[in-house]
Amino acid sequence: MPADTNFCLGLDLEIPFTGGGLRVELNTASTRIAVVGPSGAGKSTILRILAGVERRARGTVLVKEHCWQDSSNETWVPSWDRRVGWAPQETLLFPHLTVRENLSYGGALPDWVSETAALLQIEDLLGRRPRRLSGGERQRVALGRALLSKPRLLLLDEPFSALDRPLRAELSQLVSDWALDRSVPIVLVSHDEEDAKWLAEERWHLGGGSLRKE
Amino acid sequence: MFHKAKTSARWAQPQPLSLGGLRRKSILIAVWSMALLAPMQLKGAVLSEGPPRAQQANDSVLLVLAAASLADVLPRIGDEWERLGGTPLVFSFDATSRLAVQASQSGSGDVFFSADPQWIQWLEEQGTVSPGSAIHFAANDLVIAVSRDISVPVQPDMLSGFERIALAGENVPAGKYARTALEQAGVWSELEGHIVRGGSVRGALEWIARNEVPAGIVYRTDAEAEPSVRIAFVFEGPGYPQAQYWGVPLGSTVYEKSAVDFVNFVLGESGQPFLREAGFSAPQSDILDEEEERYAAGDTGDDLVASVSSAVRLSLIVAFLATLVGLVPAIGIGWLLARRDFPGKTVLSTVVTAPLVMPPVVTGFLLLSVLGAATPLGGLIASLGFPIPFTILGASIAALVVGLPLYVISVRGAFEAVDPMYEELSWTLGSSPWSTFFRVSLPLALPGIAAGAVLAFARSLGEFGATVVLAGNVEGSTRTIALAVYTLLESPSGREAVWVLVGASAVISLIALLGFEALSRRQKRRLDDRHAR
Repeated sequence: MPADTNFCLGLDLEIPFTGGGLRVELNTASTRIAVVGPSGAGKSTILRILAGVERRARGTVLVKEHCWQDSSNETWVPSWDRRVGWAPQETLLFPHLTVRENLSYGGALPDWVSETAALLQIEDLLGRRPRRLSGGERQRVALGRALLSKPRLLLLDEPFSALDRPLRAELSQLVSDWALDRSVPIVLVSHDEEDAKWLAEERWHLGGGSLRKE
Repeated sequence: MFHKAKTSARWAQPQPLSLGGLRRKSILIAVWSMALLAPMQLKGAVLSEGPPRAQQANDSVLLVLAAASLADVLPRIGDEWERLGGTPLVFSFDATSRLAVQASQSGSGDVFFSADPQWIQWLEEQGTVSPGSAIHFAANDLVIAVSRDISVPVQPDMLSGFERIALAGENVPAGKYARTALEQAGVWSELEGHIVRGGSVRGALEWIARNEVPAGIVYRTDAEAEPSVRIAFVFEGPGYPQAQYWGVPLGSTVYEKSAVDFVNFVLGESGQPFLREAGFSAPQSDILDEEEERYAAGDTGDDLVASVSSAVRLSLIVAFLATLVGLVPAIGIGWLLARRDFPGKTVLSTVVTAPLVMPPVVTGFLLLSVLGAATPLGGLIASLGFPIPFTILGASIAALVVGLPLYVISVRGAFEAVDPMYEELSWTLGSSPWSTFFRVSLPLALPGIAAGAVLAFARSLGEFGATVVLAGNVEGSTRTIALAVYTLLESPSGREAVWVLVGASAVISLIALLGFEALSRRQKRRLDDRHAR
């Protein structure tokens, strides 16, 4: 593990992937990273590895002082002990639960749920089922659920793609402030230059089977 | 020639129903040939020994194995016997041949009524009954029975004019006697190509009654009891065989006195009038006056209602038990198959699903080989007070095992329909896999699991083959709807009850399938989280 106290994220991974596999080496002290690149390059896979739901990769995953994976000694921290706030691109909300139940799934207290819902402008939706939400509403609920899980790391996969411009900027700012306040690092996957501008200070480009800092 | 053109035309082409019936019979033959090998147990080991009469209060019963042609008359005699304070009786009717082998192999049963002295002799040779203990109590003529439509007289030498002639199975007494009779009449060789075989004499009669076959050789008693057929000729006179009925206490009985008493009861003044009423002739050594007071045949309507409701109730209980007990295994196995890769997964899947494609009879036979009273496991369970063969427990186990494949397949499908990402998301939100199962996987799959339960319930309800082999066909314990229909088809008086049961079975199955459809739709809707866009 690097001795650098400012160290935030270290990845050294071989990932089996369509078209020959991915080689991912990332080492940074930055707490705001954007992974960009063409569709199908494997950006979401990197988030899945960080979330601990993709086990096919070999190598090491280090987040701050925590080692989440080290294939050399079979270290593996399961998802439920990692505490990542993962908002996947698919914005899957538990369909059998209301918006409120989705938000508090990770154990958040009711007051906190209401407060966050207000910030994300979804407080009117708390009693609804996911199937009665629009795409933008769904994204905000999924984002809220990630924020409310007391994460050590936020994994945001195209988090605002269904939102229109003004709201997008507003929410980007909001999430950025929220993460800064709590010193929660963000790994963002986005096609959108604006999102990346608000939320990231380092941009890494994934393409051609490898990850490079831009 | 001697039947109406209409009937003839009907028989010019093969009829699906008839073919189905033939197949069913051959399956049933297979069922019972398996069952023969089965250890058979009715009474639990809990019953103590002692004088038979004194045990009446202790739930003692006599298991009476009797020739199918006695199926109408013997229960009436039995009612009289019980009315006079005799040990309660339980009957198992089938062809003599199957019963004899069954009695010999299983070492169970208390009394055996045979339609053929040869089988008594055979049982003596096997050591199953004591030599000389059998009593000849009645005889039965063979007749040519024809459909009601055929009004002209029929002699044996005119039989070759019929396209088909129904006989009982070649190994059962009625089938053997019929052949002897036809040989004696000198017409066997020209008829051989026309013969169709029912499993038992009742099966053959059923075909004639249904006009599936225009004529057949059956017992006089059966033909007399069946209003849809007419007796066209009686094989009487020297050289023609007569079925000889013999009763004998089985060596396996622990109620020897009761068993001997009941045989004597049937032979004696109490039983004979019933036999005469039913068309049986007196045994050769008979000293009774045939003109003795006759008993009016009681109206059996109440009995039919009782046996129908017993079968429906029993089916529902058995199917419900099987569904309930199967729930946890079905969910466990279904989830494992849907979500986990492990060594032996294919084996597990194959073993659980096998009863879906295996003949239920084979499933029943395998179950019997594991759970029969003579096996180590079955013996252990029986010694704990839960005998499996010939009990409702056995019927439920058979229903469970046969229903489980549909159960597991449905449950597996329900879990597979749940996007694994929901579970992954739940993990990242701090829920362990165990907790995730109960908070996400199970609720999302619930309608599909319920659909599987309904399907398994419906399958259990219709179970026949495994049940008849593992649990037999005992009224009140294992005679579910399917078995009751089978049994009633063998008895001319059971026609109305069959239709009631067929109706009940169809209604319950349809309701179950509608429930399955509704639940399947609900499962789909539950997983649809983007409905309104």
